[in-house]
Amino acid sequence: MAEFIKNLSTPETMRRLPVYLLLDTSGSMTGEPIEAVKNGVQVMISSLRQNPQAIETAFISIITFDSEAKQVVPLTDLASFQMVDIKATGTTSLGEALKLVSTCIDNEVTKTTAEQKGDWKPLVFIMTDGIPTDDWQIGLEEFRKRKTAFTVACAAGSAADSALLKQITENVVSLDTADSQSIAKFFTWVSASIGVSSTKVEDGGQEVTGIGELPPPPAELNIVT
Amino acid sequence: MAEAKQLVTDLFKSYGIIIPAHRMQLFDRFLLEEHNLAILHQLRKNQEQLMANWKIEDRIAEIVQQPIRIPNATVGKPYTAPFDFEQYGWNDLIAFRIEGLEALGLAYSAENNQLTGVPTQSGDLKFLVYFKVEGQPEEAPFHQKDIPLIINPDPKGLWKNLESDKNDPYWKEDEVTLFSPLGDRHLLVSSKRGRSHANVGSFREDDFAYKELPNGWNVVVVSDGAGSAKLSRKGSALACAGVVNYFLDPASVESMIEFDNLLQQHASQTGDDTQKNLNRFVYNNLGKAAFQVHKQLESFAKAQEVTLKDLSSTLIFTLFKKYDVGYALLSFGVGDCPIAVLSKDVTEVTLMNWIDVGEFGGGTRFITMPEIFQNEKFATRFGFKLIDDFSYLIMMSDGIYDPKFVVEANLPNIAKWQEFLADLQGQNEDKATVELSTTNPDIEAQLSRWMDFWSSGNHDDRTLAIVF
Repeated sequence: MAEFIKNLSTPETMRRLPVYLLLDTSGSMTGEPIEAVKNGVQVMISSLRQNPQAIETAFISIITFDSEAKQVVPLTDLASFQMVDIKATGTTSLGEALKLVSTCIDNEVTKTTAEQKGDWKPLVFIMTDGIPTDDWQIGLEEFRKRKTAFTVACAAGSAADSALLKQITENVVSLDTADSQSIAKFFTWVSASIGVSSTKVEDGGQEVTGIGELPPPPAELNIVT
Repeated sequence: MAEAKQLVTDLFKSYGIIIPAHRMQLFDRFLLEEHNLAILHQLRKNQEQLMANWKIEDRIAEIVQQPIRIPNATVGKPYTAPFDFEQYGWNDLIAFRIEGLEALGLAYSAENNQLTGVPTQSGDLKFLVYFKVEGQPEEAPFHQKDIPLIINPDPKGLWKNLESDKNDPYWKEDEVTLFSPLGDRHLLVSSKRGRSHANVGSFREDDFAYKELPNGWNVVVVSDGAGSAKLSRKGSALACAGVVNYFLDPASVESMIEFDNLLQQHASQTGDDTQKNLNRFVYNNLGKAAFQVHKQLESFAKAQEVTLKDLSSTLIFTLFKKYDVGYALLSFGVGDCPIAVLSKDVTEVTLMNWIDVGEFGGGTRFITMPEIFQNEKFATRFGFKLIDDFSYLIMMSDGIYDPKFVVEANLPNIAKWQEFLADLQGQNEDKATVELSTTNPDIEAQLSRWMDFWSSGNHDDRTLAIVF
């Protein structure tokens, strides 16, 4: 796979737009929600592949968190990306996920130096349907030390705690229920947001810095203020 | 015997028949009767067959559900990927055929265990493997396994080329390419709308201007309108015209005459501090030009009731004049567009300016920013060089600089400029060749074609001006 990625892009001139998706795969996601998430990612990738700017710049990584956090897909260009099977089980280690994404950013996102053009600042999307079961504040402390263009957290369903997510990022959206339709809408919006960000960096050399610059979310997504 | 007895005992038990101890002798005799023995034999055979059948079914289901991951392909791009039965553990297939590859532009080679070809259609697609496993009779039907294959669209084909709105008051041509004498040299210049703008039908934001000025001076200007500013196409046009107009103004023509004396003193080393005086001259005159452009943009913004930021544009300009002692080159620059002068034998590069680049993308500066005039670094935005001769004076917007030079650190490297010239002269993927000769009648068309070079992630407007 690594060879494949090299063929597709010319790393020496390309500035990548890294996108990290942190997905809750705890037991409560079993059934419709987890299927909707898998489907949502699939549809998102397919549609981004049709966007000439996104297919050249956006690199996607999937991190799942249940009883532990795992990077199930490393930062991969859209053209090479293949979704893996994910299953819902266990508890909600959001703190571990924040710690892991921090390490991944350190290892995968290239910094700008005099000799090389670094990547754009990463976009981070978090989706959870519950309350963290681990010491999430320790993870958050690590995560705060990393530079991101923006982080969006999605509270899916009534069991998620928007106020808690608000401590992680000011950009919080919520879904009234974690059903397949709402989850699909969330991913459609994530897809549009990645599209807008990649156009912005390619066109104007500017990064999106907040939710206000993203496309307006659909009615199913409530912006938590 | 014991085995047969156990079998029948279990069978009877599953139907609720328990053989009591006082019937055991009878049961033993029953099992030894010939016709019962035959039934028993058949029973065993059937059981074995049933188990074998189940194993086959189970194996088929296993193969059908086995995830097979094949690297994604791209339309139009030669593709080779391993497709190896052994690797999948399919050593027990006794027959197979593969269907649906041809429609995708691919083929399977059993010798190399590979899929190869040039994909013809994009999407989340699949092809089919029909197979029979060991143990199945020859006449048994084939089983079907779907193999998913993602084929990406050709990224080049995804870009649309939408016309810009000609009725827009600030419309400009999507492309201007021209070749013209300029003083004792020639100018070849092209400014082209980037794919990112063509894709949405928006405007070219880059611009350029040039002019033969009185008293042997010549000026070339390049400006890059900021992508995020809504009227930057007008900003860049105004900035370019503003510079030319400034130097055509009788007052500045008059003031430029003094340069001849200063240079004379400098060349013959007759005065004190001649270098300082020249620098001061450049600072005063070109600084005035830059400030006037800024003021013009400011009043335009006011008149049109837009913000100065809406006109955000970078600006570089170079004045050159031939003297007996060589060429005098004067420059000013704000933003991320380089100005380079290559020596006669192309073994040395002289950079006329430093470029404004931020830690992250988008950290550049614009002529519309009032703070640049107050900044301590303002004085360093000017360049003055006196050189015997030069082969090329090259000015470019970041649409060329980004893909061709990538980082600032490459600009002082003459090897990179030699590569750049070689690229212009045909050493590129498309074999687009620009013959840099004043007698080349196709020079404009050649440069225009070269300007369309493909570079992933670099689809900004492109402007390139070469004086030679």
